[in-house]
Amino acid sequence: MHKVWALIRSNWLAASSYKLGFLFSFGSLVLSVVPIFFIAGALQTTMANVIKGQGDQYFAFLVVGLIAINLVSSTIYALPGGLQTATSTGTLEALLATPTSVSALLVGLSGYEVLFSMVRGLVMLIAAGALGAHIAWLQLGASLPIVLLVVLAHLPIAILTAAMVLAFRTRGPLPQLILLASTFLGGVYYPTTVIPGWIESLSAFLPITYGLTALRAVLLEGRSIATVWRDLSILGAFTVVSLLASGVAFRAALRYARKVGNLAQY
Amino acid sequence: MAPGAPSTNNAVVFDGLTKSFTKQRSWRALLTRQARETVCALSEVSCEVRAGEFFGLLGENGAGKTTLFKILATLVTPDSGSAVVSGYDVLTTPARVREVLAPVIADERSLHWRLSARENMRLFAALHDLRGAEASRRIDELLALVNLVEAADRLVSGFSSGMKQRLLVARTLLARPRVLLLDEPTRSLDPISARSFRRFLREDVALAQGCTVLLATHNAEEAFELCDRVGVLHRGRLVAVGQPSELAREVGENRFALWIRPRDQSAINALVAQGVIRDAKAFVTEDDGWSRVECDLRGGLDGAAEAISFLAHAGVSVGRCEPVRLSLADLLERVLARHANA
Repeated sequence: MHKVWALIRSNWLAASSYKLGFLFSFGSLVLSVVPIFFIAGALQTTMANVIKGQGDQYFAFLVVGLIAINLVSSTIYALPGGLQTATSTGTLEALLATPTSVSALLVGLSGYEVLFSMVRGLVMLIAAGALGAHIAWLQLGASLPIVLLVVLAHLPIAILTAAMVLAFRTRGPLPQLILLASTFLGGVYYPTTVIPGWIESLSAFLPITYGLTALRAVLLEGRSIATVWRDLSILGAFTVVSLLASGVAFRAALRYARKVGNLAQY
Repeated sequence: MAPGAPSTNNAVVFDGLTKSFTKQRSWRALLTRQARETVCALSEVSCEVRAGEFFGLLGENGAGKTTLFKILATLVTPDSGSAVVSGYDVLTTPARVREVLAPVIADERSLHWRLSARENMRLFAALHDLRGAEASRRIDELLALVNLVEAADRLVSGFSSGMKQRLLVARTLLARPRVLLLDEPTRSLDPISARSFRRFLREDVALAQGCTVLLATHNAEEAFELCDRVGVLHRGRLVAVGQPSELAREVGENRFALWIRPRDQSAINALVAQGVIRDAKAFVTEDDGWSRVECDLRGGLDGAAEAISFLAHAGVSVGRCEPVRLSLADLLERVLARHANA
């Protein structure tokens, strides 16, 4: 675990050494909540009936959706991105030459981005709260395991994409497809119940659908985590199965990269 | 010796190592379904490097030096053959190999430029399972060794190439490796920095730290200056192995440069015809009239007197006679010629 923290710490030190950029990233985040507040306010009457059971305010509904999709995006892209950077700079070669397990390297390389995205989500939530979003603040702690499960559920997609990067030097279409589907079919901007016909059934295959339902129930409705056990169980099962499958794929990619000499090639 | 490892005085043993890579196909080749072409990077390479030895691998670009190093560092798997480091096989026990062998990634970009030298060291100390006071002590010790104590808390982005190279070595030494791989470590250094860096490698790294060092270079002078033994790789084949002095004697000891005036080609031809010199190459005549002729002298330095005397009789003055240090190209040419004759 200390190896993972060492990698996260070094990424944090490197990122925060660009002080102005670092401050701007938070400033722009807070500012981005303002237009969301006005747009959501304008749509409140239209959306009020649609979002019933997932909070009564469209602004809060939208903010939680956006925080979740940002987190999913960071999770999916952080690992392959970190791997691509480490490969192109030659750092990967140096890291792989240390007695560090591949799983520790993967978590370490992507951990900072994911944690940073969580912090950004919290800042966005606080900014939304300051603008009057109805958030059940006492349930903030209870929402943390749901957030972690959402991250874990999307980690296999990141691992599969990283396997593609390792073996073929490309991310492939998977992350973009998942992100696109999650954005429009996962309940980010509107509940999945309003999606017409057979397309709605696709949302059942997206982990974010269950994550968002659970997150909104806890954070916006103030319900206990026990009430969303069904969503969390599906999310958990999806995580376990896909983590195992992606682990096998990654090991195969690693073997292939060692065979063709891709592993430490810029 | 590593626990559980077979008894051996050799730090590295490779036996029949062979590796080919598939060439990337063009769009046209892909569409017309042409078969993939392969490039042989290593072919049946066998050699043993003794513990504590400074071993040089000489070869032009694409000779297979880096592939050999990547196999030893467990980054590439060979097609056939075996490689054993401190008793551990790179294929069956790669994790053990990574504990005893460390490649110095000579690419400066592999450092974290937005971190200080100390933070770079701290990260790799953690990855090598060094923690707390032990890690701090080792980091201070190594920063002192590479003369970076004063710059330790500065961002690496502000370092010169020489400083970055020294930091790369310090980072590698964190784990107290028994075998160190250096791949063209002086390629981005100016001649003066390169010389001081070579001294540092020989005295402070190889001798003081007691490491076995494998150095890949295409600089013959560097290999001859640093190494106990040198192997010459050519197109994936190890064509010669020996002590630098031995190798130089075998292939280049009799190579001399003569400075003559006037440039009398018939006198040179007569010397060649008599077998006193061979493989003569005349170089440009300078303003003062002296011409440089590079040639192999029969009998080495002893043969020089014969050649000078002959030239004097022919009315040609000899201003200087000095041994020629072989370039990598000359060395390869001669080693390959000898290899072909053998």
